[in-house]
Amino acid sequence: MKNAILWLSLCYVCLMVCRTKSANPHNAEIEDNDFAEFEDFEDDEHADTAQTDKAAPSPKPDHPKIVMAPEADIDPDQADDEDEDDDGLVEIEGDEFDHFQDDEEFEGFDREKSSKVKGQEKPPDLKITPVPAYLQNNWESFYLEMLMLAGLAVYFINFLAGKSKNNTLSTAWFNVHRSLLDEHFAFVGDDGTSQEMQSGVLVKESENIYTLWCSGRVCCEGMLVTLKLLKRQDLVSTLARMFRPASDQVIIKVMLESAEIDTFVMCLANKKVIGKLQKEMVDLNYFCPEKRKLDDRIPPTFQLLSEISEASTAVIDTKVITALNQFENLIEYIHISDQYCGPRIQDEAQPSKMPETTKIMMFCFNVPGKGQCSPKDMEAMKPLMMMVFHCLEKVRKIRLSREAKTKADKNRQRLAESYSKASHVQRSEAAQERREKKRRAEKERMMAEDDPDRQRKLEEKTLKKEQKKKQPKVKMMKIKAM
Amino acid sequence: MSTPNSSSDPRRPGKVHRYTRPSVGGLVDDPTAEYMNLFGMIFSMCGLMLKLKWCAWAAVYCAFISFANARSSDDTKQMLSSFMLSVSAVFMSYLQNPQPMMLPW
Repeated sequence: MKNAILWLSLCYVCLMVCRTKSANPHNAEIEDNDFAEFEDFEDDEHADTAQTDKAAPSPKPDHPKIVMAPEADIDPDQADDEDEDDDGLVEIEGDEFDHFQDDEEFEGFDREKSSKVKGQEKPPDLKITPVPAYLQNNWESFYLEMLMLAGLAVYFINFLAGKSKNNTLSTAWFNVHRSLLDEHFAFVGDDGTSQEMQSGVLVKESENIYTLWCSGRVCCEGMLVTLKLLKRQDLVSTLARMFRPASDQVIIKVMLESAEIDTFVMCLANKKVIGKLQKEMVDLNYFCPEKRKLDDRIPPTFQLLSEISEASTAVIDTKVITALNQFENLIEYIHISDQYCGPRIQDEAQPSKMPETTKIMMFCFNVPGKGQCSPKDMEAMKPLMMMVFHCLEKVRKIRLSREAKTKADKNRQRLAESYSKASHVQRSEAAQERREKKRRAEKERMMAEDDPDRQRKLEEKTLKKEQKKKQPKVKMMKIKAM
Repeated sequence: MSTPNSSSDPRRPGKVHRYTRPSVGGLVDDPTAEYMNLFGMIFSMCGLMLKLKWCAWAAVYCAFISFANARSSDDTKQMLSSFMLSVSAVFMSYLQNPQPMMLPW
């Protein structure tokens, strides 16, 4: 009986073991079909992948240790027997399924990739680029361009306004002085280009310079009036004038006939400009090296450069002195010369040729208002034009004394000689250079000659030439036989 | 100062001389227009080649200043060509790079 029970219990245990083996240790769904036995492999594959996943949150379950639980149904008698059957404990280790961990068992399976893919699961950093300024519908970003366009608009408006103002001033001056000029000249206002002479033409040289040509008068070939107005059309000049105020100017240049003026050079000018004039003007620089003393009646703002003092005294008479006192701020300079050739050219070191000279009278007047003048201010300049005609009549009648004339002639002769000397020196220097070049060329030809005989002959030739040059020149004279 | 009376009329219709303009060679009284013309061309070239917007705008300003200071005897074609060059420099610099101009600081 006991043996039977033992055999029964053993069978039961075997059955239990088999059952647990076939059971689903991973709680996988086991289908009760013919393929149930194959489902163990699938379960084991999942177990392998779970093992290779390092980041798996849950710890890899080891293969369970199966320990048989004590039989509850077993009789106590059987329990005693079971105590004896502790040896029947079956422990299943996980070593049997190690081949699922072996990489070589599987083809095309990249363990690292799969781990990488699982590792790169954190959200990427998104960089949001700001929308470019020009794609925004925001005109405020173009503020510099708006500023530039505004500046150009302001410049253009200033150009139109300045141009118009200058035109008004020049026309006003011409209208005020037209009658006076018509009294003194047969022809007033010629542009010089049209075939038929048209009178009353005020030539516009630029937006701020106007010229008027008058001709047909006794003792002068013509008179050129240049209205040198301020550059009101240029905004840059307008802004510069805020720091350095300037005035509009009227420059009157009278071309005298040769016989009408005696030989003298003088300049009565404001002390601010006299230094500059003396440096720039060739005739003043040569003929008037020193400043002369002026009449006490003349305001101290004026200074005088004069070659012949009696001539300047004759010109600056009572009426001129009155005008100088009355229009002290308006008269810039009065330049009378028979040797006028314009300003000195800065580039030339020493001109060899004597420049062409003309006999002129130049008057420079400032328009009243110091840049803020109006057309009405042109009326105040009419007496100055009358002073010009007075000076013209005066100069026409001046005749120098013998001493003064001799002095003036001597000065002019000295000037002519200095120019001729300078030209002679230049010519001789040029000739010397040419001779040197020729000699060098001959020497080089001699040195380059290979044939010694020819070289010797050339040397003899050059020696003969030099000896001939050294000999004094003898003039041969022919004497006719009686 | 006395004005001449009718018996001593200074006018001489037979002594009329035509106005001859002085030859425009050598020195010029005011070279502003020439300098601005030159600067305008230089700025235009810099603006076109180096793609600098401020150069192109400076060229436009130089062209304007040159025009304002030019004499009537100056060649208008040259002035017009420098002006057109400066405007084309501005257009080209914005076509290549439509971004607004930025201050250097």
